[in-house]
Amino acid sequence: MLSAILEQTINGLMAGSVYVLVALGMVLIYGVMHVLNFAHGVLLMVGAYVCHFFFTRVTGSYVLSIALAIIVLCLLGIALERAVFRPLQGNLRNQVIASLGLILAIEHLVIAVWGPNALQMKVPATSALVAVGELRFPVQHLLVIGVTLVVVAILFVFLKTSKFGTAIRATSQDRQAAMVVGIPVERIDWITFGLGTALAALGGALIGPLFLVFPQMGDAPMVKGLAGILLGGMGSVPGAVIGGFIIGVAESLSTLFMPTDYRDSVAFAIMVLILLVWPRGLFGVRVRGED
Amino acid sequence: MASRIALVVVLLLLFAVPALAQQQPYLLHVLILCCLYAIPAVGLNLMLGYTGLVSLGHMAFAGIGAYTFAVLMVDAKMPFWLALVLGVLAAGAGGAAIGAVCLRFRTHFFMIVTLAFGLMLFSVMNNWDDVTRGAAGFPGIPRPAPLGGFSFGPLQNFYYLALGAALVAFAVQWRVARSGFGRVLMALRQDERLARAKGVNAMLYKTAVFALGSAIAGLGGVLHVSFLRVAAPATFSLAESINAVLIVIVGGAGSLAGPALGALVFVGLPEYLRVASEWRLVVFGVLLVLIMLFAPQGLSGLIESAWRRVRR
Amino acid sequence: MISIRNLRKSYGGIRALAGCDLEIAQPGIYGLIGPNGAGKTTLFDVMTGVTEPDAGKVLFDGRDVTRWPAHRLAAFGVARSFQECRVFPEFSCLENLLFGAREPESEALRLLRLINLDQYAQEPAANLSFGQRRLLEIVATFMARPRVLLLDEPAAGVNPALLELLLQFIRRMYQERPLLFVVVEHNMEFVMALASEIVVMHQGAVLERGTPEAIQASPRVMQAYLG
Repeated sequence: MLSAILEQTINGLMAGSVYVLVALGMVLIYGVMHVLNFAHGVLLMVGAYVCHFFFTRVTGSYVLSIALAIIVLCLLGIALERAVFRPLQGNLRNQVIASLGLILAIEHLVIAVWGPNALQMKVPATSALVAVGELRFPVQHLLVIGVTLVVVAILFVFLKTSKFGTAIRATSQDRQAAMVVGIPVERIDWITFGLGTALAALGGALIGPLFLVFPQMGDAPMVKGLAGILLGGMGSVPGAVIGGFIIGVAESLSTLFMPTDYRDSVAFAIMVLILLVWPRGLFGVRVRGED
Repeated sequence: MASRIALVVVLLLLFAVPALAQQQPYLLHVLILCCLYAIPAVGLNLMLGYTGLVSLGHMAFAGIGAYTFAVLMVDAKMPFWLALVLGVLAAGAGGAAIGAVCLRFRTHFFMIVTLAFGLMLFSVMNNWDDVTRGAAGFPGIPRPAPLGGFSFGPLQNFYYLALGAALVAFAVQWRVARSGFGRVLMALRQDERLARAKGVNAMLYKTAVFALGSAIAGLGGVLHVSFLRVAAPATFSLAESINAVLIVIVGGAGSLAGPALGALVFVGLPEYLRVASEWRLVVFGVLLVLIMLFAPQGLSGLIESAWRRVRR
Repeated sequence: MISIRNLRKSYGGIRALAGCDLEIAQPGIYGLIGPNGAGKTTLFDVMTGVTEPDAGKVLFDGRDVTRWPAHRLAAFGVARSFQECRVFPEFSCLENLLFGAREPESEALRLLRLINLDQYAQEPAANLSFGQRRLLEIVATFMARPRVLLLDEPAAGVNPALLELLLQFIRRMYQERPLLFVVVEHNMEFVMALASEIVVMHQGAVLERGTPEAIQASPRVMQAYLG
């Protein structure tokens, strides 16, 4: 029993890592631009496809492919921010609807170009098994968790100490004040968007080898990342990290006593429960003007 | 005045289609689908277009209607028309109950809760095999029972039924838009705080329109599964809920003709042009973004401004 | 007509209202002033159903309306305007006046003529200038046949050249309908000229009340603002 719990916890941390990466991207964008980018899931998916493309067609190096995927998606994210979200600034409803349009267009573009069938991304280097107690995990599992933790740490340091990081935090707290102090908020907007997209791309590239690369692969992580943000508290970066991991682990542990079919519902149920009982989440930052 | 004439002409044409297009059952098939997509869109238009409630789980309520109907018809052996009415009522009741929960939240959170409920309901439809027959779908849904000797088996008769139901939905929309109730909804969309300060019980009105919109969606859901003869979860998924938003927005949110225009474009045009379905949705996604950027009033708004320019 | 009894309200550690008492028994134009943080906005929010107090009572015409939501207060006859000036932008001027109105359309048209906006009756309110919208907003409050009229900083954002007109206008409306007006204001000149009686708040309670002249001469009030 104990080993089953341990196994599911590690699985949960791994799934949670992806949710954390998506959640971080969404919460950063939400903090700075006050828009929930529902299209983050498809961006994760495109990240996986781009990584797959580079890995299988261009370079056999997984690491290089990840880096290239991040760069490409970062540029895509910046382009989307400037072309779609910037002009619609201030109109929340229209921004959300536009992001729905992006989801449709991007997801089906991928299907049209790559076909509806899943692709495989076999990375021999990380398929080897590693022992944790009496359990065996592919290296990739632990890699996902490890890389995510490292990225989270770097992100925290970046936000706390660097010039841009501080500017991002300032803009999130009070856009007007940030403008008054001379922070170039428009530049912060697209930098943050690019950063968020890069995180999503990393998530996609990391889980590509684990499961399959298919057009709908980003949908569930987006919703679960959202659940993580709600759990952690809208607008809170540490909350997004903790929330994402909790969702992943809760989901995995639930398979020990519930039919696995309902696994996905755990995240949704948590989401609804949080909203009903504790809308501010764990570290809720009250964002003014939500009314 | 001109719009009234146009409306009458369009209605006459629609009723005449089976006679005019004797050799083209495909056209009837497409028009039926247009109606089946337009009906839930009317419900969503009342919520989103008139009241400003962006629900991302709308089709789940069509599913409540459809599955209630399916269970009552096939398992409880109820007569068709009774099961239809109960299906619609169940969808409306579901809308009232779930709406009451969702409406405690504003803007972002409202969208998220409706998304969450939509996903949960989909999960139930997909996994509660005992009742809903799970992912494979609920087979054995019959076409409507004959009414006064008029049988709905033949395609053209079902077309009249679908058209009639769509007209009912649009009539309800029209009635609401002209009424005091509709005025309050529009006020809520423009400035809820001000509406409250003028005596509007916002929660009550929003719950009422959520229930009404869900009931109309239920009507669409019931007819849809009766047409396909099977109730499948895929018909009521998140993707379909997003399609519903697309239809309302592209057609023109808050306009009377919006759901019809949107459904025509969404279903009719690509079927007619025989475009591969994947590219169709890419085009629609891009169209949605372009409309948000350049023509937020949708097709309805574009037609109206073109008409105004012609008149000058 | 208005009875505020021992209202208390805290936001976290900040005491916005600390046992506020106020009785107003006669109709009139009452100005509600006080330095920043005095609690007048909070008092206003409680009176208009935006916030609930931690303790205490609010009575309008003898009825305990303490925790009533905004829409119930409005139906009861408490009308208000907003500091940021709210009208329904897509509705026409006439539609704005007729929304939730208890007066007939003829009255709406008369009021529109009064504020010189009758030619804009069918025009969407969004097309009006700020000053015009302010007049429309105030005039709309009368259409509900209110018992009490609460104006939240009516002078805010109004062009100084139009302030005198706004002042005369509100006075004229009072002459037509001698209700109970409570006007929260930061613009001293405006409120002193407008109101018949001034209520000064300080540190969450009523400090003093009296005629504008008496208040302007009061050393306690001066100290509250300067000290």
